[in-house]
Formats: sequence, structure tokens, C-alpha cells
Amino acid sequence: MSASIDPECSEKKERYDTCFIKWYSEKYLRGESQTDECKDLFKEYQICLNKALKSKGIDAMIEEARKTSPNNDNAKHG
Amino acid sequence: MKVFESSCTFDYPWANVSVANWRKYCAWNTQSTHVVAVDTLSRSVDPSTGVLRTERLITCKQSAPRWLMKFVGGTEESFVREVSEVDPSKRTVTLRSTNLTGSNFVSVQETVIYSPDPIAPESKTLFRQDAQITAYGAFSRLCGAIEDWSVERFGQNAMKGRLGFEAVLEMSAKAFREMRSEEAKI
Repeated sequence: MSASIDPECSEKKERYDTCFIKWYSEKYLRGESQTDECKDLFKEYQICLNKALKSKGIDAMIEEARKTSPNNDNAKHG
Repeated sequence: MKVFESSCTFDYPWANVSVANWRKYCAWNTQSTHVVAVDTLSRSVDPSTGVLRTERLITCKQSAPRWLMKFVGGTEESFVREVSEVDPSKRTVTLRSTNLTGSNFVSVQETVIYSPDPIAPESKTLFRQDAQITAYGAFSRLCGAIEDWSVERFGQNAMKGRLGFEAVLEMSAKAFREMRSEEAKI
């Protein structure tokens, strides 16, 4: 799996990603999307990640992008 | 504005490709070395449509020519925000990406769609990619040069991305086969 922006979060990210891929391939693609067994791992990873984004000043950049184009679909596609 | 377009077919079913897509930038992809980190910012399933929406931050490190660095503020680390949607009923994965870094000078908006190949929908997957690259500035010659360079670099990275993803798909299939044969032994 790919690394996190902050090496401190990579282990938490790895645990979450592994959980997510298992859920995605075994549950989600089979129509069982209601379960959320990765919720706690995601929360742990997010606490670490948000701290890193804040200290690098990237959080503001992301907020701005979310406001201008929530789904990145401003470009015209035919 | 310049437009980059490419498409290809992967010899794997859509479901496998959509799983491997989450691993695109793992260690098996030795080509896309410019991607140094991928972080999930948010993720949710729409209860009425079943569409999975994911927002990710992609961190890239790649050198640029000095004349360009001068204009875009010269950091080697750059960030891309990607919003993706998986629609399991239509069997599509759509990824939309925009650059966060240097966006005052050049805007790169990329769309990638993975869908079942119309000729062999159960065994092959169609990959379509397009990008709109627009440079902003008072000097049209400079804008042209920035756009040309960006399109060229985008094409090189797209090529590496395809080769790298091909390797990820192959390794995933191998791991899956091994897991199956282990299961069969039990």
C-alpha cells in the first residue's frame, strides 16, 4: 500500500486500507454496503492525518478546493 | 487550453480492476515513482444509490524545469485532490482530479473512467482518461510553453501509470490465485 503524507500515520493508514479493501471486495461489490467495520480504524487514521495536514498548512488548501468544486467536476466533459 | 486524451483496455474483469485501483500506487507499481503518498480524506456510501464516494489527497514529488519553478513558486512537493465515485450498479469507477499546488498558474483537471469493455464486458475493462490543462497569465507565449510542458509531462506520467497499474493487476491476480489454491488445500 502507498505511504501517508506523514510517516507517523503510515501504520494507521495501512491498517485502515487493508480493512477497506477487504470490505470493498468482499462486501461492497457484493451489494452489502451497509456495514462499516473499518469505522474505528478510519477514525484513528484521520486523527493522525488531520494533525499532519494542519501542521503542513494543506488543510486550508483542501477546504478551499472543497468550496470551489466539491466533486471536482467543473471541467466540461462531453 | 490543451487537452490530453488516452484510452486502453485491461485484460481483467471490471470488479478486479476496481479493487486494484485502490492499490494503484503500492510497491508493485515501480513506474509511478512521482507519487509519494496517497491519503484518504473522506469516504461515504450514498444509501439511496449505493455509490461510494472517496476524497483523496495525492502527494507528488517531481522536478520541473527551472524556468517553470520560477513562475509556480518552486516547491518540488505538489498536491492533487481526487474525488472518485464507484457505481456498482452501472459498474463504473470515475476519478476526477485537480491540482491544489500552483493552481493560480496552471489548472490540470483530469477525469479517468473504468468501465466494462463493450465487446467483452465480463473479462475486459476499458480505461478512458482525459485532462484539460490551462495556464493563466498575461503572456500568451509563456502560457503556451507552460501548457506544452504540462501536456508532455502528463503524457509521460500517464504512460508510467498504465505500465505500473498493469503490474499491480498482474500481482493482484497472482495473489488471488495463490489464496484460492491455499483455500482448496484446507
